Amino acid sequence: MTVTTAWVLWLLSGMVFILSTRNPLYLLITILMFYWLGLKFEKERKGGQWIKLNLRFMLTIVGLSGLINMLFAHTGKTVLFDLPNGWPLIGGAVTLESIVYGAINGLVIGALYLLFNIFNKALSVKQITRLIPRAFHPIATMVTISLTFFPSIQQRIREIREAQLIRGNPMKKVADWLPILIPLLVSSLEDAFLLSESMTSRGFHTHSIRKYSSLYLVLLIISAFAVFAGWIFGLYDYPKLLSIGLYILAALVVIIIFVVSGRGNPSKSYKQEAWHLGDKIASMSFSLALMTTLALLFMDNGPTFSYSPYPVIAFPQLHWTGIVLSLIPGIPLLIQKND
Amino acid sequence: MKRNLSGIFTNLIIFVLGFLSLAAPFVLPQARNSGAHNASFPIMISLIIGLCLIIVFYEIQISIIDNKMIAFLGVLIAINAAIRFLENAIPGPAGFSPTFFLIILIGYTFGGRMGFLMGAMTMFVSALITGGVGPWLPGQMITAGWVGQSSVLVKWIVRSFNWSDKPGEVVLLSVFGAVWGLLYGAIMNLWFWPFLGAASGQSWLQNAGFLENVGRYSTYYLATSLVWDIARSVGNVLTLAFLTRPVIKVFHRFKIRFSFQVSGEKS
Repeated sequence: MTVTTAWVLWLLSGMVFILSTRNPLYLLITILMFYWLGLKFEKERKGGQWIKLNLRFMLTIVGLSGLINMLFAHTGKTVLFDLPNGWPLIGGAVTLESIVYGAINGLVIGALYLLFNIFNKALSVKQITRLIPRAFHPIATMVTISLTFFPSIQQRIREIREAQLIRGNPMKKVADWLPILIPLLVSSLEDAFLLSESMTSRGFHTHSIRKYSSLYLVLLIISAFAVFAGWIFGLYDYPKLLSIGLYILAALVVIIIFVVSGRGNPSKSYKQEAWHLGDKIASMSFSLALMTTLALLFMDNGPTFSYSPYPVIAFPQLHWTGIVLSLIPGIPLLIQKND
Repeated sequence: MKRNLSGIFTNLIIFVLGFLSLAAPFVLPQARNSGAHNASFPIMISLIIGLCLIIVFYEIQISIIDNKMIAFLGVLIAINAAIRFLENAIPGPAGFSPTFFLIILIGYTFGGRMGFLMGAMTMFVSALITGGVGPWLPGQMITAGWVGQSSVLVKWIVRSFNWSDKPGEVVLLSVFGAVWGLLYGAIMNLWFWPFLGAASGQSWLQNAGFLENVGRYSTYYLATSLVWDIARSVGNVLTLAFLTRPVIKVFHRFKIRFSFQVSGEKS
């Protein structure tokens, strides 16, 4: 699976599902899928090392989260031991439920971290940069310039540092940065000046986007307020249709503005991404998973993915929808096999 | 003038909207009244902040950005992203980051919009380079943007008291950097604090009033983030105290050079 859109859908569906569940079993299945995927990506390099590093991270985050919650939350019925009440903040009963609650929080953070870690591995910097909408052509150009200049600036820093070290600058204090920073700033801004001159002389990016721009700006602000209002209405138990209507309206306005504003900046690509059958099936599966999770979040009587160990710890309930959704992030494994 | 006013108006609206979203747990007691709301909370916050970023970028794009600014900021962002790796070369305490002083000085010298763009895009480009794209990114971008944008306030104070090129200028910028060193961490925590909290003295409580929740958050902040943020704060003070003068001189020099205008004959 190499198509950017498919990976973006994978990310969105995975993120929404992780954030919508507190069931440790669903989270564990999803995390297992992530590790499997990560191992695939790292196979050519040092897969074992990636697994070890990320397992250590996961164990640390789950352990720390459980420990912090154990010390500061004294709710739950299964008391393990008591800390003296006189101890500020941490004094009180230490319960099994508080440890489990904290550990689940750790699983959520760990799963999110792994999700984005794999997303960053799956897509190149170029692919992520190309995700910036065409309406933001100047911003995208700025990002491209930064990424292009970055290696040469790093090289320049190394050269200036070496020169300073040869001159006997120990480079140990903040004040020692000055002989690095000023030559770096001056030489790099000279390059920026040359670049801006050549861009100007070639007529790059004139004011094409400024037509109707004030109207679009106002519409964008209204869209943001519509999303905010929809959220608030949802919180205060207004009819859900009102919130959903506002979200859809805002999304439509934003998409239309992006399309119209981006028209002046046609996208050119040296090599188009090829959509294989696997990419299409995967994209459809991720879209379906995303819509299902969102629909279940808004439904009143649907299966819930939440779980709370309070007041007494119990085995988490499982529902087939949750199991399927937690397996969805593993779809690229099936497709990669046939690549 | 019209563009300036629309810029101030837009940025004020976005600041209020972004801040209200982040401060929702304090001002909206219903923000977590059920399991479903709890789940959608961080998604909605990220979504609204993402929209705020889009609006600010759009406004900046149609008002001040031209070829010169694209090249100038593009290179400066690359420098700032590279400086992040310099902290490995010159060791500092945990939490210490040398990136904020350039963001503050750009906002201070070139104005709030440039400062915002510098802050937000530094975070974005750094995330691309280090593989750090994540749900935390919109929050990082908007907060770092606010760091640069708000440095205009220092400019106003310096102008009002005529402190340009005087020790007061560096002192004020250092204090500003110290405050933002702490504020940055405090604002970044808000993204996940209500979502992750448990029923402890440090977590968000639905039935608690505004002040009680602020107190709970303060306890959480003191216990988990303060030491880290103090290191960032001290780092900002040190970098601003030692580097402000020469860096501002360089910026002023290039500000004049980058103000060239091209006028061609109409064909």
